[in-house]
Amino acid sequence: MTGDLAADGGGVASTSRAVVAAVPPRNRMFVAVLALVGVFLAFYLVAHNLGWSGPIQCGTGDCGTVQSSSWAWVGPVPVSGIGLAGYLSLFALAVLGLQPRFAHSRTVAFLLFGGALVGVLFSAWLTYLEAFVIRAWCRYCVASAVAIALVFAATLPEWKRLRPRRPAQ
Amino acid sequence: MARNRTAGNSGLTKFYWAIGLVAALGVAVVAFALRDGGETASAPIELGEIDDQELIALARGVVWGDPDAPVTIMEFGDYQCPACRSFALEVKPQLDLAYINDGQAKLVFHDFPLEQHPHAFLAARAARCAGDQDRYHDYHDAIFRTQSRWSPMRDAAGHFRDLADDLGLDAGAFRSCLASDRHADVVTANRRLGERLRVGGTPTILVHHGEGPAQQLGGFQFLDIQRAMEAAAGN
Repeated sequence: MTGDLAADGGGVASTSRAVVAAVPPRNRMFVAVLALVGVFLAFYLVAHNLGWSGPIQCGTGDCGTVQSSSWAWVGPVPVSGIGLAGYLSLFALAVLGLQPRFAHSRTVAFLLFGGALVGVLFSAWLTYLEAFVIRAWCRYCVASAVAIALVFAATLPEWKRLRPRRPAQ
Repeated sequence: MARNRTAGNSGLTKFYWAIGLVAALGVAVVAFALRDGGETASAPIELGEIDDQELIALARGVVWGDPDAPVTIMEFGDYQCPACRSFALEVKPQLDLAYINDGQAKLVFHDFPLEQHPHAFLAARAARCAGDQDRYHDYHDAIFRTQSRWSPMRDAAGHFRDLADDLGLDAGAFRSCLASDRHADVVTANRRLGERLRVGGTPTILVHHGEGPAQQLGGFQFLDIQRAMEAAAGN
């Protein structure tokens, strides 16, 4: 931020950028909170996949069918484990992106937007499998799909940060 | 500028409080859900009101031999029961040679997990999870062969997973199945069917031939079944 001020010579543009930098990007707060919710959802499913606990408690739907299908694993890794890693990464990136030093980082913006895009596409594919291949619904998977969709929506403002900045006048 | 920075810090502080709150809530909910989930995997579940036909349809047994064999030998067994182990490893091979391999009779195994055996229900589910991969019979034998190892364990789920690995089953699918409540309804229905047939202990053997009712035998040794088979052949 100090470097930005020096480069602009303390003009109006630099002042406004400094103001923006001082206020943490609100969308990243939403991403962090939603990703944290996703972390717990995914962890719950991982715990069941790895046999750390008993049956999945489902009031509605059929989690047992979904979680015992061959689609619940990619080789030795449970799909929920992939989700857990993704949510943890998005959470860490969002918290990092809230620090003043990284508020304008295009790398953080790119990773947040790209990661959420990959996550929402992966989730869409899993939802398709539930609906048309496994023909059973697990409410925790559906909740995770909603969470990642909201995360993706919250990362849309990152698109603006990805656009090249105009040089200072 | 300083005011903006203060506003930014204040916003971040509120955010960290919100994150802390969500984290605490998440830990509490997941811990409660996992604790709650750990208690029902190894016990019969509530089937609700079902009539006899629905119960018979749900209480699927597992067949050894020709499904069209004229005589049916039904076993109600408990995987944690030493006498059932003896039946599976000593009596059943004799039945195979005498009646099952040549199609005279088939053996149908029904689960009857007893309350005093804490791992019996989970073992029954584990065997049916192996059955999902067409390996029920191998798993059934393996679970009885290793009964003395897993029976005294506090938590036998790890042993059941190891058995699946030893048999070369798809470990992921098996673990997921065991960790879910899959087959809990079928095992419970088997148990209830046994109760309706007045099964009092395990192993209980019934022999069924023709249209008449199944005959419950007084014992489970080969000679007991041989006598019943001879009686069936005489009819």
